[in-house]
Amino acid sequence: MGANILIADDLSFMRMIQKEILTERGYTVVGEAADGVEAVEKFKTLHPDLVLLDITMPNMNGLEAMRKIFTIDPKAKVIMCSALGQQNLIVEAIRAGVKDFIVKPFKPERILSAIEKALKPA
Amino acid sequence: MALAGIDETRLRRAFLEEAEDLSQKLGDSLLGLEADHGNSSLVNEVFRFTHSLKSESALMGFAVLSELAHRMEDVLGMARDGRLQLGKRVMDCLFAGSDMIAAMMAAIGKGASDSSFDTSALLGDLSANASGTRATEGQPLSPVPAAAGSSTASTITASPALPPVQGGPSPAALQPAVIALGDFERLQLAEARDRGETAYRLTVNVDPEETMKFPRAYLVFYNLELVANVVNVVPPMEGETAEDALYARTTILLTAAGGDAALSAAASVDQISSVQIERCDYAALLAPPVPSRPAVSIPSAVPAAPESPAQPVPEAAPAQSLPVERTSIRVDTRKLDDLWSFIAELVLHKSQISRLSESLGKGADVNTVREDLAESFDALDKISNGMQQAMMDTRMIPISVIFSKFPRLVRDLSRKLGKPIELSLSGEDTEIDRSVVEALSDPLTHIIRNSLDHGIEFPEERVRLGKSEKGSVNVAARRQGGNVVIELSDDGRGMDVDHIRRKAIGMGIRGAESFTEAQLLDLVFLPGFSTKEVVTDVSGRGVGMDVVATRIRGDLKGDVVLRTEPGKGTRVTLVLPLTLTIVNALLVRGDDQLYAIPLTDVDSTAKLLAVEITGDEGRESSLWRDEEIPVYSLSGFFGAGRRREEESFALVLHHGDRRAFLIVDELIEEREVVIKPVDDLLNSSRLFSGVSLLEDGRLVFILDTSFVRRENF
Repeated sequence: MGANILIADDLSFMRMIQKEILTERGYTVVGEAADGVEAVEKFKTLHPDLVLLDITMPNMNGLEAMRKIFTIDPKAKVIMCSALGQQNLIVEAIRAGVKDFIVKPFKPERILSAIEKALKPA
Repeated sequence: MALAGIDETRLRRAFLEEAEDLSQKLGDSLLGLEADHGNSSLVNEVFRFTHSLKSESALMGFAVLSELAHRMEDVLGMARDGRLQLGKRVMDCLFAGSDMIAAMMAAIGKGASDSSFDTSALLGDLSANASGTRATEGQPLSPVPAAAGSSTASTITASPALPPVQGGPSPAALQPAVIALGDFERLQLAEARDRGETAYRLTVNVDPEETMKFPRAYLVFYNLELVANVVNVVPPMEGETAEDALYARTTILLTAAGGDAALSAAASVDQISSVQIERCDYAALLAPPVPSRPAVSIPSAVPAAPESPAQPVPEAAPAQSLPVERTSIRVDTRKLDDLWSFIAELVLHKSQISRLSESLGKGADVNTVREDLAESFDALDKISNGMQQAMMDTRMIPISVIFSKFPRLVRDLSRKLGKPIELSLSGEDTEIDRSVVEALSDPLTHIIRNSLDHGIEFPEERVRLGKSEKGSVNVAARRQGGNVVIELSDDGRGMDVDHIRRKAIGMGIRGAESFTEAQLLDLVFLPGFSTKEVVTDVSGRGVGMDVVATRIRGDLKGDVVLRTEPGKGTRVTLVLPLTLTIVNALLVRGDDQLYAIPLTDVDSTAKLLAVEITGDEGRESSLWRDEEIPVYSLSGFFGAGRRREEESFALVLHHGDRRAFLIVDELIEEREVVIKPVDDLLNSSRLFSGVSLLEDGRLVFILDTSFVRRENF
């Protein structure tokens, strides 16, 4: 059984691509969130093995959502999705405990290898 | 295309849909922002739209679009952080960018790519704004303060050229890392030695393909910090960080008790091409600095082989592919709920009927069953009507889709022409079929342009005439029966009807001398008839109201009427059918063929006997309410021109204010027909607006009554 993954991105197009890449590899996308608030909510109810979290989202951005998620489960596995130019935000996310980050535009292999590494038991 | 293996058509469609939406929202929010510069949530919103457009287009391989969005994002990012004021020049730049993005989206939607767009000038302007080199015009752009500790940000913003993702680490990065140990670091090392820890030097090489090397190296550094004591890092991870490319290779000096395995596990991060772990000798590290050599040099164990320059594989040019038609629509969920409630009822009645049929088999009273069946069919009739209505509703969208473009249009034109204009919109919620909406955009835009260009006077003239300096333009939509009425009015100079008459006479239009005002104004819709001699680049010459009339009267089966009052203004009224897909029609027969005529175009029907026809064949006419109008016959159009029979009927049809008799062989019934597009081969004379199929499979041609305006066939 592939791990359960929650995708959070405000762009349905991005979610569609990510979902496609993940399901192709046998992962289960247990939920999708269009903003940070929804991401936190779905994290609470769905208990995914890993969260793909976009940094730039309306209502609650990825960083805030990540912090909320870590208060729910300090061991949560979160991978940040960012764009070029968001170095400082990523560094902030790393300090808060994300497992990895992906820079858009990404190649499918990148997402997959990042997830694989992040899911490996420490 | 960076995403091999995913259905490209689907991908493209999804991209188009979302990106077009983003592009539209970008334009809208920019307008809002212009009116309200200080609105930080609007700045954020616009920033997010450009950011999203950048990401999505990059993913699809539209590099030109992506770069443009990126530069706009940079500028907006600076505005958001308070490092740039959104003055007029900056806003103009952003508007221009938004327009170009919209144009690119349109091109991409048609199957072209963004690569044919020349963005260089615009990118230059954006860069100039971002770097503050054009801080003039009383809108001083505050200089970019090099905030301590955030210099990484300035590698992006202060040099608006994209950060160097190409090219390998600069030569400095390939030099053996020199770690200068200060007193504090030496103390740390000594303490670690006393605790029995081992000193290590790690050389971390980031994958050349990683586009953000600093965060990548930082991730390793951070993971190491969790299992070891980091003494020093080159280039530095905290405080004054270096340019991103320099982090292609990072040297970390640390002490740890856990052994090599824990370190390599911590450094096992994706996109790290290699990590070298070497044990170091405390004695060498802590040796007192020789005065001539103030720094302890830690040469790399492996000579720093010149790495193959990190050349990311250039993105393949976006594939030219077939246009992807937008096949998905957004529907208000309440409309779907309505539809759903009908379906629930349908299911209920379906089981009712099957129960009735079973009861018949069990010998139930036939009369009772018949009554029950009749009831059920009644209900099914209501349900199917309801479903049809609900389905049609899903095709209806609010006219605000078009209206929302007008504030921008008016803003730009008003500035270009130097005429201050106040635009007021009303009835934006009025719903209309989406196919009508799409065809309406251009004509409405044209009418507004005309108002601003020719209608509204210049401010000085307005003041002289005792009008307010600001011209006003009103656009209002409302539902009226089966139609939507749109009125566009201005308080400008109006049109000179006498001038139109003179021009008409000059053009040799028959009867112009005695034309009524309404008839004269209708001439404006004739091709080539323009009363404004001055050519401006706003309305242009040649494309005038005739195009509007063709679109409204011809394509949309509606009508357009112009009214004017000299010195007070002009009003253009458009009457449009709610939908183009279903029409109430009169079914008639001509020879052996069935035709449907939209009921809205039929004024009256009468037995042919009652109509007195005069004139030669082919040029016949008759009187209708004291007006002489031409007489046509269906069999004359399509048949062999058989003799008319006395049982034939004469219909009076109108299109706009023109009327004609049409003789048909038989009136069959009034009914709704579903319009399907007609093949050009079948419609070479353009007499049909479509075809429809009856339940029994017979084909019906739907007559386009605009033929009554034609002079010849």
